[in-house]
Amino acid sequence: MQYYKTARGNGRYIGQTRSYTIYSDSIDSPVKVEKKPADIIPGELVFNYGPSTGGMIESVRIALSTPGEMIRSVAVDPTYKLRTIKLSGLSLKDAFILVERINGYHSSSYQAAFLKAVEDALLTEQNTGLDEELILQMELERIRSHLNVLERLCEPAGFGVPYHQIAQMREEVTRVISSIFGHRYFFGVHNTPKPSVRIPSGIVTRTKDIETRFALLFESLQDSKIFVNRLQGNGKIEKVWLVGPAARAAGYKYDARIDSPSLDYGRYGFEPYIEDGKDAFARFLVRGNEIFSSFAIVNQIISNGRPDQANLMNIHGTGIGAARVESPQGDLFCYLSINNGSVERIEFCSPSVSNIIAFEQSMQGNIFTDFHFNWESFGIWISEAGVEIE
Amino acid sequence: MNPVYFSLLITAVAMPVGIWWRKASYALVIAGSLEMAVFTLLGSGNLAYPLAYFSLIASIAWILISIFSMTYSAGYGKWLTPLFAMTVFGMMVILESSDYVTFIIGWEIMSIPAYASIGLNKEHWNAAYVFMVFSEISTVFLVIGAIFAVQETGTMDFRFQSLTSDLPLLLIAIGCMTKMGITPFMISEWLPIAHGNAPANDSALFSATMTLMGVFGIARIMLLSPSSIYLGFFMLAVGVLTVFFAALFAYVSENMKMLGGFSTIENNGSILAAIGLYVALGEGVLKTYLLAVIMIFALAHSVAKTGLFIGIGTTRKENFSEVDSSKNSFLTLGWFLVTMSLSGLLPTIGGLGTWMLLESFFMGAYQYGLIGIASVVAGSMIALAEGLASASMMKVLSFSQVHGHPKGSMKNSEGYVLLSTGVILILLFVLANFLIQPQFISGLPSVLVYNGFTIQSKFSAADFGLISPLYVLVIIIFFALAAYLVFDRRKGKLRIVPRWNGGVDFDQYYTSFAYASNIRLMLKGILRTRIRDGNRQMSVVDVFWFAMQSFASGYRRFARQFAYRVMNSSITWYMIYMIVAFMLVLILAFVI
Repeated sequence: MQYYKTARGNGRYIGQTRSYTIYSDSIDSPVKVEKKPADIIPGELVFNYGPSTGGMIESVRIALSTPGEMIRSVAVDPTYKLRTIKLSGLSLKDAFILVERINGYHSSSYQAAFLKAVEDALLTEQNTGLDEELILQMELERIRSHLNVLERLCEPAGFGVPYHQIAQMREEVTRVISSIFGHRYFFGVHNTPKPSVRIPSGIVTRTKDIETRFALLFESLQDSKIFVNRLQGNGKIEKVWLVGPAARAAGYKYDARIDSPSLDYGRYGFEPYIEDGKDAFARFLVRGNEIFSSFAIVNQIISNGRPDQANLMNIHGTGIGAARVESPQGDLFCYLSINNGSVERIEFCSPSVSNIIAFEQSMQGNIFTDFHFNWESFGIWISEAGVEIE
Repeated sequence: MNPVYFSLLITAVAMPVGIWWRKASYALVIAGSLEMAVFTLLGSGNLAYPLAYFSLIASIAWILISIFSMTYSAGYGKWLTPLFAMTVFGMMVILESSDYVTFIIGWEIMSIPAYASIGLNKEHWNAAYVFMVFSEISTVFLVIGAIFAVQETGTMDFRFQSLTSDLPLLLIAIGCMTKMGITPFMISEWLPIAHGNAPANDSALFSATMTLMGVFGIARIMLLSPSSIYLGFFMLAVGVLTVFFAALFAYVSENMKMLGGFSTIENNGSILAAIGLYVALGEGVLKTYLLAVIMIFALAHSVAKTGLFIGIGTTRKENFSEVDSSKNSFLTLGWFLVTMSLSGLLPTIGGLGTWMLLESFFMGAYQYGLIGIASVVAGSMIALAEGLASASMMKVLSFSQVHGHPKGSMKNSEGYVLLSTGVILILLFVLANFLIQPQFISGLPSVLVYNGFTIQSKFSAADFGLISPLYVLVIIIFFALAAYLVFDRRKGKLRIVPRWNGGVDFDQYYTSFAYASNIRLMLKGILRTRIRDGNRQMSVVDVFWFAMQSFASGYRRFARQFAYRVMNSSITWYMIYMIVAFMLVLILAFVI
């Protein structure tokens, strides 16, 4: 491991893998956290929501303990449809195919974390072209993911017009991705070596058009008192262990793009956008503004960069590596042990696990109608929380 | 001898009989009540319209409660029955009294056995002490009021006579209001505490008829007193404030009997508001109409409240969370009718009472000036509180019946009594034309509503509003039957499927506590809703009761400190204290 050291709690807390506690500058032995079921108070009821319900896009069971109207405690169970993905023993190339499918909607982040961990484990030199490629992928993915969260925030508010407008923008971004990488969700981008990354003409025009339209819509949403009222004061949380947009919405300048050596964002003049409202509205603002900063990076790379693909064919090295990248939901950490070109042990620390805990705590004291807005504001993906990697 | 006095005699016999023969004692109370009702109807009692109605109302309630008590009181030892009979006897004395002394004696006969029956049936005596403290406060005001009333005559004649000052009415009203659970500028939780801790038959007796004695006491003196705009406004303000807060606290109450207690206060507040408007107004049609409102509302309250506590008694529980209701169609129908009446819905006497009450306040607007403004504000507040009252009754109906499991220990006869109470509420509605002064009865023959079938609300020669009870009932029955015949084609087509709960096998029932939490949160400024740290349990504070308790404990602390620091066995200070106290008494006596 070039960047990560085994030490006691250096830097900010990121989360837990099966075997380690992850900090921004070190990895430590695991801490056992036992989740106690909430006490049932007389007169209270537990409202069961999910796992099979029309309101959620993934299978998740949420138990809301309530004395009526107000939510006293929330227990999210992302393991109802638990997936087990066996990666140990597979070649890096074969493992990669499964890694990019852990959370298909954010496959690019998983690809980046995995590839940078491989690079770290085998002590290979940093490939600037690959970094640019991964950053381009991840920022396009971030735009799409944030658009998706904003779209989902419009839905429970009954804002049909902006909901569909954002959905259209999301689709246009996906088509841009497809035009550049040959797959709408980046699948197979690094598996099959190609001569070079082909960036079709007119992409910058398309991205700038999307950005302009989004700017207008984003302004309009902020002007809508009805929309803002649903988000302001909803799901307030301020904890030092927050990650991603949730942390940045609570005033913390936490971003793997500036505090992880895995990918170099310095050359793009990137600075995280910070809000201090701590609520769903602050998370909405952070995501909206990050779309602009991601567009800025994407346009720079498309205009001036030289993105390049990774080549996972014929790797036979041995070593242990770790990498941390900023996925749209927050820090995504990958620990990887390679034995003669095969995965010996792999562990991920996914941001949705942290965001689920943040959601549970932020929901206490809120009322039922706040539920969907708050849930969507964290951009939680059950696919990366309800999964066991072997 | 006045034949109504036989009812007193029969009920007096019921007291000793009750020690050994429970059912016989209740049968004697029924006989005494029936005798009083019949002879009151025949006009043989001491009272004429409108006061005679109180005897009739109380008799109906006593009969129903006594029938229910025959099975209900089986597990409450030998003292509950004689104490019950004695309380009824005290109330009969109040109703038949023609002077202040007999009235106050009846008041005490009514209160003392009630105190004993609360205390004997609870592990803790707190509720009984609370009851007795407030009972004696009410007696003190009654005695002072009576002294002022007698002083006005300039003789030692204690009989009820016309008064020239409104002071006796003010003092006696405060005394009676205390008994009704109302105290000036606040509602007091004493009544729900006391009524909530008594056996259900006693709770029914206290809520339905003991508070009725308070209304009777005020009405008795009100009819002898001159109009007084200030006193009227005072009663109106206290009544309206009481209605609102009592409805609010009833809605958030988890103890069924305490909910009933708050509902009683809410009803009494409405009656007091009507009395306030009556006292404030000069002679006129509206004033006469208000008398009918007071009687009809008191009737509706007493009979329906009897039913409410009988219903609660059938559950054999105190809190909604403990209820395992008996699945009994008669009981459910009875519950439905009783709660409908207490919600102010037609076709019940409660619906008529609420309609008449609101009409009187909206007609009050045409008095213009301060009375007009006060009437509109009061009417709006009462209408708001009626909404909350309906929600409370919906809570009672839902969580005592719909969500229950058939495990209750109710006797079938209790279901019949509750159903009978519900039917009486409908019958009283249909027969209300005969209970109201003829000047408010008319008809609309042009639309086939014949003369005698319509009740008018009016403040002048022309009518303000109309209602035809029998026609309302017929129309409701007609449309209900039509809907049933047209749409009830379930046979062979009804498909019952398991409940879908997110795809998991998980049963959870909505709770009564959760039902009321919307108001706990929306009105947290008034209810002082608190979420405790740690387990974050939600609770509300009755700010008035809290303030009263704080004042009492603060005074006790002050008195203790005063005793320790100043009067610490010093004979000099004792002497100074006695001289000052003596002089103060002399000054007060001189001033009064």
